[in-house]
Amino acid sequence: MQPQLAPEVVLNAQDIHKSFGTHEVLKGISLQSRNHDVISILGASGSGKSTFLRCLNFLEIPSSGTVAVHGEEIVFRNGKIGDPRQIERMRQRLGMVFQQFNLWTHRTVLENVMEGPVQVKRLPKAEARDRAEVLLARVGLADRMGHYPAQLSGGQQQRVAIARALAMEPDALLFDEPTSALDPELVGEVLKVMQDLAAEGRTMIVVTHEMAFAREVSTEVVFLHQGRVAEQGPPEKLFNHPDTEMFARFISKSR
Amino acid sequence: MAFLDSLTANLPKLLDGAVTTLELTGLGALIAAVVAPGLALMRAGGPKAAQLALRVYISFTRGTPLLAQLFLVFYGSGQFRAELTSLGLWGFFRDPFNCAVLVFAINSCAYQTEILRGGIQAVAPGEIEAARAIGMSRAQVLRRVTFPHAYRIAWPALGNEIILLMKASALASIVTVFDLMGRTRQIFSRSFEFSVYFQAAVLYLLITICFVFLWRLAERRLSRHMAAPGRS
Repeated sequence: MQPQLAPEVVLNAQDIHKSFGTHEVLKGISLQSRNHDVISILGASGSGKSTFLRCLNFLEIPSSGTVAVHGEEIVFRNGKIGDPRQIERMRQRLGMVFQQFNLWTHRTVLENVMEGPVQVKRLPKAEARDRAEVLLARVGLADRMGHYPAQLSGGQQQRVAIARALAMEPDALLFDEPTSALDPELVGEVLKVMQDLAAEGRTMIVVTHEMAFAREVSTEVVFLHQGRVAEQGPPEKLFNHPDTEMFARFISKSR
Repeated sequence: MAFLDSLTANLPKLLDGAVTTLELTGLGALIAAVVAPGLALMRAGGPKAAQLALRVYISFTRGTPLLAQLFLVFYGSGQFRAELTSLGLWGFFRDPFNCAVLVFAINSCAYQTEILRGGIQAVAPGEIEAARAIGMSRAQVLRRVTFPHAYRIAWPALGNEIILLMKASALASIVTVFDLMGRTRQIFSRSFEFSVYFQAAVLYLLITICFVFLWRLAERRLSRHMAAPGRS
């Protein structure tokens, strides 16, 4: 039996600033994610929530701040990239799921899921294939492995994208509005998969507009407003007794 | 059948010329194809100075007649015979076939670079981000995502460029290369038999048809993922 210690910190972002030209999008955001946390990041469009998420795996290079994944740390100054090798290494530990799925359209579903393990982790193909098949079965796509992304619905594509992220056995999963590009009737199937992942204790950071997911699945909610954390805490507290007028308005509008 | 008789008589020489035409085109296009991807990448997002140099090269090559470029290298190299000899390069430049291949390679490379640049810039940025997000290095992203897509996008235009080059290779006959056109002119100058030009035209056409067929076959293979037989 594991002793009941405080779960270890998986991802730690400190004082992240990001400017595009003279426009400061992120004005010092910090976020700590422990093992098994499911953190929902909410905010109006333009609040910086997607930019912040993209800073966590360096798709955007923070202007300044510190990002640490399992203790391995990068300090950013003046928006400079340090060692690209280190960035590539740290990215492998964070699975990313995009709003637009971003599957590789020239590869089959199975190839999409095998690509990272084979190319990046240098796993033997047979092993990567076994792993991919298990993951695809788990997201309900065992019968679509030979299809190309263009032959799938949006919901199916997003589930493939989740399997692709899981195949790297990441320490945490980042979701960037994973259901925003989906037809309403397809949202449920993706949320169901995400719910299952949360239930099995995956560490997740989710930028979303799905209030029900934020409220019922996440362990912590972060509300961003104009590049700053405006409110943060457990969902039952935030949704029932918001501290700020802003968040109260935000949740009443999205109901 | 006077025409058939003349064709049978001319065919060995014409076929010999056709092989030279294929060699000229194939070598020129191949050398260009080896160099173009690197240049296209630089053209799409390299350092400013490199981009400027490439634009000068490309606009010079595309903006001047191929025949002028061929004369420039073939007759121009003769002007520098002493220098080229001391560099050990005269042996290369004295052969008109080599000059033609060099010019065709330089010329086609400019076009192929521009075509590929367009392909590279048309690759969906999201797919590149997904590759970076999974931890791929820059080289892996290029090899696994950018170029496979860029070539698929550029494929029809690249095929066009090679067909144009094949036809333009007839210019090599003017600097004494015995390609298909060279052989044709040789036969005509001896017999004044007008129909040999028609025979040559048919051979050029056959080459083009075969090439288009093979190119389309490859295109279909490259496009497998696009032929979506409906959602099921």
